Amino acid sequence: MGSYAKTGKLLLAASVGIGLLAGCASNEKKGAASATVNKEGFPIVSEPLTLTLMAPDTGEQDWKKMKVLDVMAEQSNIKLEFRNAPKDSFDTKKNLVFASGEYPDMFYAAGLTTAEQINYGQQGILIPLEKLIEEYAPNFKKILEENPEVRKSITAPDGHIYALPVIDMSQHWYRNPIWYNGDFLKALNITKLPTTTEELYTYLKRVKTEDPNGNGKADEIPLTASNARDVNLRDVRTWLLGSFGVYEDAIYVDDNKTVHYTPLEEGFKQYLTFMNRLWNEDLLDHESFSQTDEQKKAKIQNNQVAMFSNWNAYMSLGGEPSTDDPMYAPVKSDMVDKPVIAENAGITPGAFAISSTNPSPEASMRWADYLYSYEGSLLFSKGPEGILWKYTDEATRTKEYLPIPDGGTDREKYRSTLTPNYGIPAPTINFDDIDKGLKGDFDMWVMKETQTKLLDQGARPPFPTLFLTSEEQTQINSLTSDLNTYVNQMEAKFITGAEPLSNWDKYTATLKKMGAEKMAKIYQGAYDRWASN
Amino acid sequence: MNVADSAIKSSRGDRLFMLGVYVFLCIALIVVLYPLLYILSASISSPKLVNAGEMWLLPKGITWDGYTLVFQNSKIWSGYLNTIIYTVLGTALNLAVTLPAAYALSRSDFVGRTLFVIIILVTMFFNGGLVPTYLVVKDLHLINTMGALILPVAVSVWNLIVARTFFQTTIPRELQEAAQIDGCTNLKLFVRVVLPLSFPIIAVMALFYGVGHWNSYLPSLLYLNDDAKYPLQMVLRQILVLQEMTAETTGAAISGDIAKAMNSKAETASLLKYAVIVVSTLPIIAVYPFLQRYFVQGVMIGSVKG
Repeated sequence: MGSYAKTGKLLLAASVGIGLLAGCASNEKKGAASATVNKEGFPIVSEPLTLTLMAPDTGEQDWKKMKVLDVMAEQSNIKLEFRNAPKDSFDTKKNLVFASGEYPDMFYAAGLTTAEQINYGQQGILIPLEKLIEEYAPNFKKILEENPEVRKSITAPDGHIYALPVIDMSQHWYRNPIWYNGDFLKALNITKLPTTTEELYTYLKRVKTEDPNGNGKADEIPLTASNARDVNLRDVRTWLLGSFGVYEDAIYVDDNKTVHYTPLEEGFKQYLTFMNRLWNEDLLDHESFSQTDEQKKAKIQNNQVAMFSNWNAYMSLGGEPSTDDPMYAPVKSDMVDKPVIAENAGITPGAFAISSTNPSPEASMRWADYLYSYEGSLLFSKGPEGILWKYTDEATRTKEYLPIPDGGTDREKYRSTLTPNYGIPAPTINFDDIDKGLKGDFDMWVMKETQTKLLDQGARPPFPTLFLTSEEQTQINSLTSDLNTYVNQMEAKFITGAEPLSNWDKYTATLKKMGAEKMAKIYQGAYDRWASN
Repeated sequence: MNVADSAIKSSRGDRLFMLGVYVFLCIALIVVLYPLLYILSASISSPKLVNAGEMWLLPKGITWDGYTLVFQNSKIWSGYLNTIIYTVLGTALNLAVTLPAAYALSRSDFVGRTLFVIIILVTMFFNGGLVPTYLVVKDLHLINTMGALILPVAVSVWNLIVARTFFQTTIPRELQEAAQIDGCTNLKLFVRVVLPLSFPIIAVMALFYGVGHWNSYLPSLLYLNDDAKYPLQMVLRQILVLQEMTAETTGAAISGDIAKAMNSKAETASLLKYAVIVVSTLPIIAVYPFLQRYFVQGVMIGSVKG
């Protein structure tokens, strides 16, 4: 015990030092730590270690009783104490914790933005991880070697890696897809989905006038959106903007490596014109800017809506997953030869970080590294074998689902009691093998829809995940909030006709005055740096 | 028909005025009552009809699922218990601090009274702000303890001033002098003479503070890490806000697991939310009528006579 306490003190001293001498300190401390931290296999530490962890809590689960964390604690010999905050207010709490000077040892699924990583990294609150990765994270290191773009995307401009990302190369959607209501397609005898904006318009018009839900009332809503959390038309905007040759989110890079500010583009104007036309003819739900997500959902469940966005159609329509409601295939306008389609970059930065007061960064890194192995990723995403699933053939990693224990009916709900990786951006990598044998017909169908309608049509990430320097970040921060507010307001005004489209030039002039071009320039610089790395 | 009406026939203008008053009061009543009725009805209606806007006053598609879920949810009950603890202990402490302090400040023979009043008043207009307050609470080792929700809010300056004004204006100085001449100490004077005469202000303070504790969630959000200590409002907030988050989170860089999780949360939340609102506000609504008499009285004391 005595020697352990001494080691602990040394470690403490060393990690305090990190705050001041980031680079040099990590060398000194390695000698002290390697005595207790095993470089591979389990247990990670030979003497029990307790670490504190801060994560967002989605509400119903009890982190102290999760089977996955029990298994992990047992095999690693690291016990966790939780300093969680509710997911809805996690950001507030996170900022307070950073300001308070009393940090948890590890941040889990913390969604640390690149700005936060640089800021707290340079203050020495988050320690640089690249040396630890080199020595204590064989799995993650392998990922970096196989995917150089991951390293590029998580390395701060000062050359340090302050946080590990979520890596999910099998999730391609940039935004929720739009889905067609299959009943309406059938009622209108539509066998070929619209391929141009004009065909789309015609379809929406037919929905409005031909009573496809057959209740004798003209209560159909061709296209709807909701105003939940100020996202407004976001999902719809993403897909329709592509028809006019521009990507959604304020910043994107074109094929010639030029960075554009979307709301200034001609394509954006065309999109507004199209939406304004839908609005005027009542084809776009007039409550799109005011209704909540549940109000939108109620209309969809009521079989009134022809097109809407959600993760899967059945989540809005209710009932069982069905392959009758096809995914929207991006349509093209006269402006372009083919629509541009946004794809998710697959890397979400800032999922896991280690604080400077952590008594054993080495052990923490090994703990996190396990999440990037096949076994660890499987454990955290599906729970231990024998509860919700079992191997049918372990050699090929093929599995099958077991009946839900305790007579439950909701597999996801049960899963949420097993593992923390439920509804939060947890540090892990998604392997194709994890779902081997577990994918149902519906999942396969969705994959096929994604492949044929999006990926095969040339989907790509609009802008890579990258870091800004702190000066760039400061400038961007001061520009973004004003610009976003203005653009959101004007988008709604243009679409609803409160502002005539003839005022477009006035609008672009205001944007330029507010620094829209400067913003594009800053991102251009960051992009060039990223591309040349 | 009251006496005034039968004795003197009211003029046409008077009657018109009274009519206007009644119409206005009726409108006010509807405005206040409608949300309460709506929530009550919504809590036993099918969420689908509520969201579709078909349920607007009386319950439709009656279901008790919401309440069933509430009664099954252990977090709501532990939150309930915690809220009761915070409210009872917190209010007791509030009264124990506010009343003596207010009384002391009300005495004109209290040396340095003006100075103390100024110092106290300053905190009403200038405070440390969120982060410094957090640091103080942290350095007092109150983080993640129940004390964090009770001690930092032990006294509210506003209430202190209201109570002081009450003592100043309602308890005659002569009465206190009389007691002193009879050999009464200051402490006895406060406990035996002043407090028994101050029931209205005690009730008002208890209500002000009690409602404040019952409804507060921000301190628990900031200072608590352990959800076993969360008060009811925090649990309620989690249920309500999570459902709003579904739309936002199911976008870029989110896995299918998260989307499914959020979807199932939203379904539960839409069933649960009105029932939780009813369950969490009922106690306050039930207590209110009994204290309301003093409430009005107390506010009048503070504002008019002061």
